[in-house]
Amino acid sequence: MTNITILIIGALLSVSILYLVRKGKMHGPYATWWLLVAVTAIILSIFPGIIDWVAAQVGITYPPTLLLLVSICMILVRMLTMDMALTQKERKIRRLTQKMAILEDHLTQHKKDDGQP
Amino acid sequence: MKSLIVIPAFNEAENLKTLLPELLSQVSHDVVVVDDASQDETVQVVESFGVKCLSLPLQLGAWGATQTGIRYAHKNAYQQVITMDADGQHLPVEVHTLVAGYQQTNTHVVIGTFPSRLSRLKKLAWRFFKMLTNIKIEDLTSGFRLYDEQAIKVLAQRQASLLDYQDVGVLLLLLRSGLTIHEVPVKMLHRNDGKSRVFSSWLVVLKYMVQTTTLCIANMGTRQAK
Repeated sequence: MTNITILIIGALLSVSILYLVRKGKMHGPYATWWLLVAVTAIILSIFPGIIDWVAAQVGITYPPTLLLLVSICMILVRMLTMDMALTQKERKIRRLTQKMAILEDHLTQHKKDDGQP
Repeated sequence: MKSLIVIPAFNEAENLKTLLPELLSQVSHDVVVVDDASQDETVQVVESFGVKCLSLPLQLGAWGATQTGIRYAHKNAYQQVITMDADGQHLPVEVHTLVAGYQQTNTHVVIGTFPSRLSRLKKLAWRFFKMLTNIKIEDLTSGFRLYDEQAIKVLAQRQASLLDYQDVGVLLLLLRSGLTIHEVPVKMLHRNDGKSRVFSSWLVVLKYMVQTTTLCIANMGTRQAK
């Protein structure tokens, strides 16, 4: 039963992502990440044995722990990269704002010079 | 020598009305006011004195505004930038002290310091930051500074755009770039109006302390002590 739930969630996720890309609400790298998540969910729901096998390989006796641990790690990594991206954006916005003020001044200066030849 | 006075201003129309005429009568430098998205008539006041005003479309904070002026200076090949506050605590006469300090010492940055303006709390905070960073400078936040051509180049670049205050972060960046800093004592007035942007409320102070401490720790060991 759980497997079917996860399969449905994975399928819904993939469809939503494709819909968002189609509507222009999500772009490139983000869409790839989310599609990967969806595909992983689908694969795991079809072959739940993968988790048990990997858990056995790394010596985890209760396999669901592995799933939770890996998921939380992925979420943390994702949040960290999000903040890094936000920092980049903040820097770009600040530089752009400054440049805009400088260019605006340059423009009015030119207009003034043109007004009185 | 081509030099530019940069004054960041946020809602400082009243103070600029008294500062600008005094400044213009005292010095012959070019002056530019950077308006940090003010809601009052800062821009009109500045332009009424025939002074150049750069208007930021979004509010960037004191350092973001100052850096705008520095980038403007960089773009227009100024060899010297002097920054001062718009609220009147930095006296136009003291610009000469900064310039004299620069000519005497030949360092890249000259900071005008007025030690007695520091409260006990600030002194404690500064001692803490100095201990963390090994910076041998009395007044870490003084906005009354002179930057030479090399310092302008360093501060105009992208790395300096993520800083939030014109204090420890700026100093660390300058020192890391191998530039030298000198302090000269100047006289300052108490604020005419408005409050310190940094020390205005406990929550802001806490945020400032935490952010600056993080910055200091992250920058440990990136340069040798001066």
